[in-house]
Amino acid sequence: MKKLIPFVILFALCAILLKEVYFTNKAELPSALVGQPVPAFVLYDVKRPGIKFTEKTLANGKNVTLLNVWATWCSACAAEHNMLLKIAKDYRIPIYSIDYKDDRDAAVKWLQTAGDPFVLTGNDDKGNTGIDLGVYGTPETFIISKKGNIVYRHVGMIDQQSWDEILYPLIKHLNGAT
Amino acid sequence: MKFWMVIFLVIAIPCYAASDLHPFSNPIEEQRYQSLIQEVRCVVCQGQSIAESNAPLANDLRDKIAFYIKDGKPDAEIKSYLVKRYGEFILYKPRVTGATLFLWFFPILAVFFSLSLIAKQLIKKTNT
Repeated sequence: MKKLIPFVILFALCAILLKEVYFTNKAELPSALVGQPVPAFVLYDVKRPGIKFTEKTLANGKNVTLLNVWATWCSACAAEHNMLLKIAKDYRIPIYSIDYKDDRDAAVKWLQTAGDPFVLTGNDDKGNTGIDLGVYGTPETFIISKKGNIVYRHVGMIDQQSWDEILYPLIKHLNGAT
Repeated sequence: MKFWMVIFLVIAIPCYAASDLHPFSNPIEEQRYQSLIQEVRCVVCQGQSIAESNAPLANDLRDKIAFYIKDGKPDAEIKSYLVKRYGEFILYKPRVTGATLFLWFFPILAVFFSLSLIAKQLIKKTNT
């Protein structure tokens, strides 16, 4: 019986290896900021440049919000746009966004033609706020708690399945329902 | 002969392109820059360091690193800046902290453990 131990260890290591190689999305990074407050930033709304948008905007204490990072050059962002409209209108979750390394005029035109699901859209044309958030692949969506802490980061477009299975339950939980 | 010299010179040009974009006032800073950008993983093109990658984020991070070196920030602080935003994974050599202790020491411990098992077996065999 004792002779089997090395084989058990080997089997366990192989199982871990198999899981990491075939069942892990290795390209996806967990956010280093989960559990921390949204890093300080100052951006101006793309549509109304006099309106300021900072991390304090997301810490209103009243509702859980989403922070979506997108750009007009990002095709996956265009693909998830209708889902964001649905989240804003049907599920009534406030979505703030950051227009990352983008052309402001193109962004405004896009929001006018495709619809605007966002409460505010900060103009991050230099990409500094994106770097402070650890953005590496748009679209990215952060779930922000009422106090302004980053609870979760979703990389890639949001579809109905990821919304139903991961994001919406988490938001409902944070809002106080169970 | 001249033909090959031209070819080699042309091939050599891109190797200097990266340092030309961030002229440093002293060679120590240049050296730190070259060394740091090879230690930082490009999280967009994950097979490359940011020295090799042309992804927009890699370009932005190289700019940031050059800026902070010129601003007088030490290497440790620049690494902390990156890890704070992207996690330990962004460094090819993750720093030795409580979380990464297992990563660093497991291989050598595993080898040591296996060798001691083999040694035990050999001793048993020679004693019978």
